[in-house]
Amino acid sequence: MLVNRSIAARMAVFVLVGAGCILGAIIGYSYFAVRRMLMEELRSEAEYMAKAAVNRIETVERSVEKIVQGMAIDLEMSSLSTNDMYQLLRRTLEENRAIICGAAIALDPANGGITNYCAPYVYLDKGQLVAKDLGAGNYHYDVWDWFNLAQKLRMPVWCEPYFDEGGGNILMVTYCYPVFKGDEFYGVVTSDVSLEWLADMLAKISKDIGGYAWLISANGTFITHPKRDLIMNETIFSTAEAHPDPALRAAGRKTGQRMIRGETDFIPFTSVVTGKQGWLYFAPVPSTDWSLAVMFLREHLMEYIFGLNKVNLILGTIGFALLLIVALAIARSITYPLRQLASATRTMAQGDLDKALPEIKGEDEVAQLASAFDNMRGDLKKYIVQLQEATAARERMESEMRIARNIQMDLVPKTFPSRKEFEMFGLLEPAREVGGDFYDYFMPDDQHIFVFIGDVSGKGMPAALFMAVTRTLLKAICRVERNPAFILRRLNDGLAESNDSSMFVTLFCALIDLSTGECKYSNGGHNPPFVVRASGAVTSLPLTGDVAVGIMPKMEFNEKLFALQAGDTLFLYTDGVTEAMNPTGDLFGENRALEELRQTHGATGEQMVKSMREKLRVYAAGAEQSDDITMLAFRFLGEG
Amino acid sequence: MLAAFLAQAVFAEEVTFLLHWSHQAQFAGYYVAKEKGFYQKRGREVVIKRGGYDVDGRACLTEGKPVFCTTMLFTALEDRDKGLPLVHLAQVVNRANFTLVAWKKNGIAKPEDLQGRRVSLWLKEFEAPYDAFFKRYHLQPRKEPQYFTVNLFLRRGVDACAAMYYNEYHTIQQCGIDPEELTVFEMWKHGFDFPEDGIYCMAQTAESQPDLCRDIAEASLEGWVYAREHQEEALDIVMDYVRRGHVPTNRAHMKWMLEKMLVSIFPGPGDKWQFGVLSPESYDNAVRLLREQKLIKNAPPFEDFHRAIGGLNKIEPRTASDCHSRFRGNDTVSK
Repeated sequence: MLVNRSIAARMAVFVLVGAGCILGAIIGYSYFAVRRMLMEELRSEAEYMAKAAVNRIETVERSVEKIVQGMAIDLEMSSLSTNDMYQLLRRTLEENRAIICGAAIALDPANGGITNYCAPYVYLDKGQLVAKDLGAGNYHYDVWDWFNLAQKLRMPVWCEPYFDEGGGNILMVTYCYPVFKGDEFYGVVTSDVSLEWLADMLAKISKDIGGYAWLISANGTFITHPKRDLIMNETIFSTAEAHPDPALRAAGRKTGQRMIRGETDFIPFTSVVTGKQGWLYFAPVPSTDWSLAVMFLREHLMEYIFGLNKVNLILGTIGFALLLIVALAIARSITYPLRQLASATRTMAQGDLDKALPEIKGEDEVAQLASAFDNMRGDLKKYIVQLQEATAARERMESEMRIARNIQMDLVPKTFPSRKEFEMFGLLEPAREVGGDFYDYFMPDDQHIFVFIGDVSGKGMPAALFMAVTRTLLKAICRVERNPAFILRRLNDGLAESNDSSMFVTLFCALIDLSTGECKYSNGGHNPPFVVRASGAVTSLPLTGDVAVGIMPKMEFNEKLFALQAGDTLFLYTDGVTEAMNPTGDLFGENRALEELRQTHGATGEQMVKSMREKLRVYAAGAEQSDDITMLAFRFLGEG
Repeated sequence: MLAAFLAQAVFAEEVTFLLHWSHQAQFAGYYVAKEKGFYQKRGREVVIKRGGYDVDGRACLTEGKPVFCTTMLFTALEDRDKGLPLVHLAQVVNRANFTLVAWKKNGIAKPEDLQGRRVSLWLKEFEAPYDAFFKRYHLQPRKEPQYFTVNLFLRRGVDACAAMYYNEYHTIQQCGIDPEELTVFEMWKHGFDFPEDGIYCMAQTAESQPDLCRDIAEASLEGWVYAREHQEEALDIVMDYVRRGHVPTNRAHMKWMLEKMLVSIFPGPGDKWQFGVLSPESYDNAVRLLREQKLIKNAPPFEDFHRAIGGLNKIEPRTASDCHSRFRGNDTVSK
């Protein structure tokens, strides 16, 4: 389709496409470069923020661990009464109220052989210290993880966080420390820590990064998340499980597993909770086996990158528009002379070669083309003049040749005497317009007739002229000579005398006595004629052993005799008959001629000649006639 | 008639329906019965109360007021043996869900591998099927008590833990553990398939207020039928209960639980039990097991244990549950 457009349009398109590709490549590169740079920046920012947050959490948790450890050591080292325990708890809480909001010493109910639930507990309620016994009313506190895990794992444990229903539904986490007296389990010291500050801290991170952060427990349970519903209810795995997309389900589960295994990474991630895409940085909180995740939203990043690339895009678009104008202008300036040339060529094609071509300045390709066009115009003009002259000359020559042919044809007789002793018919068909064949007859008196047939060497005008000379000479000689051999000798001398062009003629000459049918003949190198007997037998006349006439002077020619009976025909021909060719180049040959004559014996001379001519035409089957075809049939009727 | 209905509703005596565990989809049918008014339309005002280790069910039952409760068949038989005159009204869960889940990594692949290992179990009430299982394979594992969570197991404090197929087994997966990491011993595949949750009341209530008993059982079963046919709505109701009860759980887990409950409640193709019905054969099997385990000494005859309440046919499920083929398909074959 583009091929059909003008050069200017194509150039503009190619230039724009080229420039567009380059521009696209530059913008694309800059996009990816900026993106890569930003990703690196994001990663380090994420790392920094996550580490800072993890450190803060760790600082608090390590402090809590120290506080609880302190109480545990007190319990292990000394034998405390319940009151002492309350004192210890109060003192600890008083000193660390900024960090912990409750502490308990839960004694092993099975200790000492009798089931006794006793767990002194002191907690902060609206800034006031409140004390109570968790085991009051035989409350089975040993069913809870904070007791059970520490007891069974026999090591300090950070429990799964929980909502403190009694204390204003605050998110809490409990650190539990098993106490042993000797080898025997004695109880569990615990400390409750409010996690409300965690949410605030992560909310601030979320705001800073234009994304959000969350924290999951060792079980994958959400401890903080911008969607509060998730906290303590969902795990990272349950949210993945609830997602309809299997790929995201698998990815969410895999990421969760890596997080709870304590891995650190920065990965592209699609949230199964919000459905938002982005990059996730996660890092473990070692003390509690929690994992912190910071999610950078793709939309924010894209917005930023787009902002950076917007200027590029606007500049690119303006540049593009300018480029379009310039490309069109250049293309048009180049094609303007071409269009002029095209218009001039159209005029030229209509035959007007005189109109000057538009002048094109400069030496560029278009100017060269214009100059070449101008040269062509001049040459064309000259050529046309020459062609006209040549055509005129040829036409003149052809007309002359036509006239010559007419003359030549006039030279051979077309009418034949009508006598009771014989009848005859001749035909000459030149291969070219003027040929070298001829036939003739001459009656020196009432009782005799000369018949001739000859073939001048060569073709065309020279042959025709030579033939004319030959015939004139022959006619002249025949008036004084009655002997074919003499006639040939004198003709030979006459022709050879001033034969600068070394032409010659084969000639058969016969004198027939019309009263007897006796025939005297001499043959100067011509094809021996056929004698077609009335009976149908055909023979060729024996040769006289003479060469063609006009080659050299003072030549002698022989003479022979034969007799024609009534009904016999003497058939004279030139080699144009026997050497006629079919399209494959095979000659007609004497045998075919003999056969044909045998077929037509008894016919008139005219019938015989015309039948032979028809045979030749059929044989040639459209092949070009290569030589003159000349025949003369003399039929002796013998009624003299 | 409307006035009579309203009067009955307003002045109806409040009846406590005590669950044997904290709020979850295990009890979806009862919540649905309450919220969709199936109790109310029978003129009964029901208050559903959660159970658990921190709730003294026996005290509640023996207060004197009419109390209905859900409990396991084993627990009920043990309670009867200890002198608590419980009677059975309807059998909700006819197929067992007890499993034992173990860490593959700790080299546990077959029952014999549990020998001497630390195994946490719900002691006392829900111990019987596990004891039978251990006995069958001559195992003496080190038993640890298991309460509300499987955190002791998750923190590798024990090698195996008790897990209801519909609950803890899935909870463990929701903590990031893949099923491939676990070896699961399904008790019902080891020949210990016994009816679980049923609806019970005190013998005295059954005798003095048979109509009330019938109403409560019927409405509860109707609740289950409705829950099966409207699972998303039932889940909404369950989620409402767990949120109000501050039970930390999520919808995905409740969905799993409801699906597993439904296939344990409604018989599928090839299942021999009848919806809501405790067969004397199942009862006898359970009694035999508990006796063999020496968990009970005596058991009442079936007729004494179970009070026929009639009218259950009205809430027979219309079609065989299609959820059977989706879930426990393989289990059916292996049984």
